[in-house]
Amino acid sequence: MKNKAYFAILIILFIFQGSFSHAEAKTIDYKSAAFKAVASQFLCTCGCGQDHYECDPNTCSLTKQFKKDLVGMMNKGWDKDKIRKYYLNIYGESILTAPEKSGFSLTAWVLPFVVLGAAALSLFFVIRKWVKKKETGEMIIEETDEKNEVENEIFSSMIDEERKKYL
Amino acid sequence: MYLFANATIYLGLAVSIYSLLIITLGISTQKQKLINSGKGGIIAVFTCAGLAMISLFYLLGTSDFHYQYVVDYTSSDLPILYKLTALWAGNAGSLLLWTFFLSLYMVMIMSSRKMKGNPMVPYVTSILLANAVFFFFILGFVAKPFELSNPVPAEGRGLNPMLQNPGMIIHPVTLYLGYVGLSVPFAFAMAALIMKNMDDFWIKMTRRWTIIAWLFLSLGNIFGGQWAYVELGWGGYWAWDPVENASFMPWLTATAFLHSVMIQERKNMLKVWNISLIIISYALTLFGTFLVRSGVLTSVHAFSNSNLGLYFLVFMGIAVIGSLYVLMSRYNLLKRSAGEFNSFVSKESSFLINNLLLVGAAFAVFWGTIFPLVSEAVRGTKVTVGTPFFNTVESPILLCMMFVMSVCPMLAWQKSTVKNLRKNFLIPAILAVIGMVLMVVLGIQKAWAVIGYGVIILLLITHYLEFYRGVKARRKMTGENPFLALYRLMIKNRRRYGGYLVHLGIAFITMGIIGSQNYDLQTMKTIDLGKSIEIKDYRINYDRLDQKKEGPNDVVFADITVFKDGKKLGSFEPKKIFYANSENEPSTEVTIISSLKEDLYVVLSAWENNGKATFLVKVNPMMDWLWIGSFMIVIGALFAIWNGKYQNITPRYTGVRKEVA
Repeated sequence: MKNKAYFAILIILFIFQGSFSHAEAKTIDYKSAAFKAVASQFLCTCGCGQDHYECDPNTCSLTKQFKKDLVGMMNKGWDKDKIRKYYLNIYGESILTAPEKSGFSLTAWVLPFVVLGAAALSLFFVIRKWVKKKETGEMIIEETDEKNEVENEIFSSMIDEERKKYL
Repeated sequence: MYLFANATIYLGLAVSIYSLLIITLGISTQKQKLINSGKGGIIAVFTCAGLAMISLFYLLGTSDFHYQYVVDYTSSDLPILYKLTALWAGNAGSLLLWTFFLSLYMVMIMSSRKMKGNPMVPYVTSILLANAVFFFFILGFVAKPFELSNPVPAEGRGLNPMLQNPGMIIHPVTLYLGYVGLSVPFAFAMAALIMKNMDDFWIKMTRRWTIIAWLFLSLGNIFGGQWAYVELGWGGYWAWDPVENASFMPWLTATAFLHSVMIQERKNMLKVWNISLIIISYALTLFGTFLVRSGVLTSVHAFSNSNLGLYFLVFMGIAVIGSLYVLMSRYNLLKRSAGEFNSFVSKESSFLINNLLLVGAAFAVFWGTIFPLVSEAVRGTKVTVGTPFFNTVESPILLCMMFVMSVCPMLAWQKSTVKNLRKNFLIPAILAVIGMVLMVVLGIQKAWAVIGYGVIILLLITHYLEFYRGVKARRKMTGENPFLALYRLMIKNRRRYGGYLVHLGIAFITMGIIGSQNYDLQTMKTIDLGKSIEIKDYRINYDRLDQKKEGPNDVVFADITVFKDGKKLGSFEPKKIFYANSENEPSTEVTIISSLKEDLYVVLSAWENNGKATFLVKVNPMMDWLWIGSFMIVIGALFAIWNGKYQNITPRYTGVRKEVA
């Protein structure tokens, strides 16, 4: 009896599985944050230069099918990393909108900061050299008061203005 | 007409070669007569470029399909405005526009009252003439604007619908004015080096040129973004496309240059760096042109593939190697007057950090743009470097830049002491932190947004204090009323206060970017007639779907009524336009309902015979701030360069060579 009940439940589940997944598929908006996280990883190859999140499924048949496939995978419970891996295995890195953060592609991410860091370090040493040069050359000028600096500028501009009257 | 139009190009080439040679000869023999002849030649070059422009305008305006360019980019039913602006829709026409601007700038420099008797002028014009020779050569032998069509078609192919937008009329023009404008300070820098003039005369003479070029570059980018927003129907304004990057890179380095020249003017330092920056900026404008014309990278903006890119690459190579050679040959002279710093914490240091970040940001954009080529060369795999990369890499760099921008005005020249720092930054910092806490409490909890807005608060306060203190000091000395004091304070130091206005504009733009990137909402739904879409506080009722004729074009439109919080905002009509003579996808006309808080962005995406329609609906927060900030940038830059009563001093030439001018 128990086995029959299990069997009946299995049959019911089998019959309605399409409806369940269909109902689930309907809930995924192509412009939802969840879909964005998945679809924005992949580049549409129709030539629009956009990712599969941005590309309009009403004008691009390629993204229409791709979006459907993505929804299918999301309905299966695949997360964005698993979906990414799946497509990466098929198409390689060229399907992604940004380089991988491993292997040679890591240099794309790291190099700007390495260069910036090295330049910052060099700048530090250059300024230190200039400051030292100044310190050894003469006494440090007394602190400049910002307020006085502004007043001096205004004052000198007024003198300039007066001076021009007699030129 | 064919003979006349082509004659303008070939004559332009011949005269520019003549002028270049005769001026060079004049310089080497020190004969003013030869220089004057060359100057006459420059006017002839300008006339040739101007007549070529008029000829092409005429052919486009009259739809003369005997000419391939007219066939390729217009059709007889195109509105006259777009017929004319099709001049810069293609390779040859846009290069003609470039050449025209270049020759215009040459004439302006040559005939400027301030340049009278300036011995740098022959050197500057010869450098610009070398550019003109290259462009006329391209127009004469590679991208010919006056090539005949064979056979002559009855109708042209029409203008790409996406280019039929007011934004596209202005965007390329402003961008080219910026690109070509940067060649002027470059030419002055090279002239100063060749003449062994190691002072800052060239910087002072080109100060306004550089700001104008920078302003046009800014405008080019802004108009491009605005066009993308209203025309492309994806709801964004910047996609980090290689061609967008190509115009952003010289903007970054030119911004760095505008700041670092202040150190040279004040402390007679950074001479090598400033010249390097202007060389880089100039080279980047050529690099951008190479990217657009070569088809080496995939871009939605690129012109059709041609071998033009190779010519630009070679020209860029010659220009960069030549200028580096000149720089190196004068290196010892430039290094001779290396200055000193009083302290690590000073306005000077902050300018250097500003330069580091701006050039760092430019390098990151450059690296990201060329990485697909690098990857292909190294591994044989062409990768895509898109928005996720640039957003991740650029955000922290540009945020640091904003921070430096907010503290720099309050730092003293020479040395800021702890007392000075405490006095200037304690209250702004506390207020910024309070602002950040309030944001978190009110629900803005994304880290980048909170930090970004915190920095913007700091920037707004420090800039307010800078104006406040200036007015206060002025009132103390003159007893003027606050508004008069503010007015006089600003007009007597236009560069400084114009710069601050630009800073405020950048702050507003950043507010818009952070808001629209982090808190946008969107949905795409297919609905029946009479149904509605709800997003945030908005309800969009779909009332009608219909079609009509607009001139030769077919238009499909939806009538929608928009409500916010139950209150009717009005009826609108998002549509798709099917352009006659166009095989492209229909063009999108979006509905944008703007407010300071947010934009509601509605696109009619698709429809079915039974009346069902698909809409893309977006809520983009703070978009208006982006445009307000852009407007402020323009106001600030114009204010800085305005030739007012107090800015009419021409620097005195004190260089070594003075023989011919």
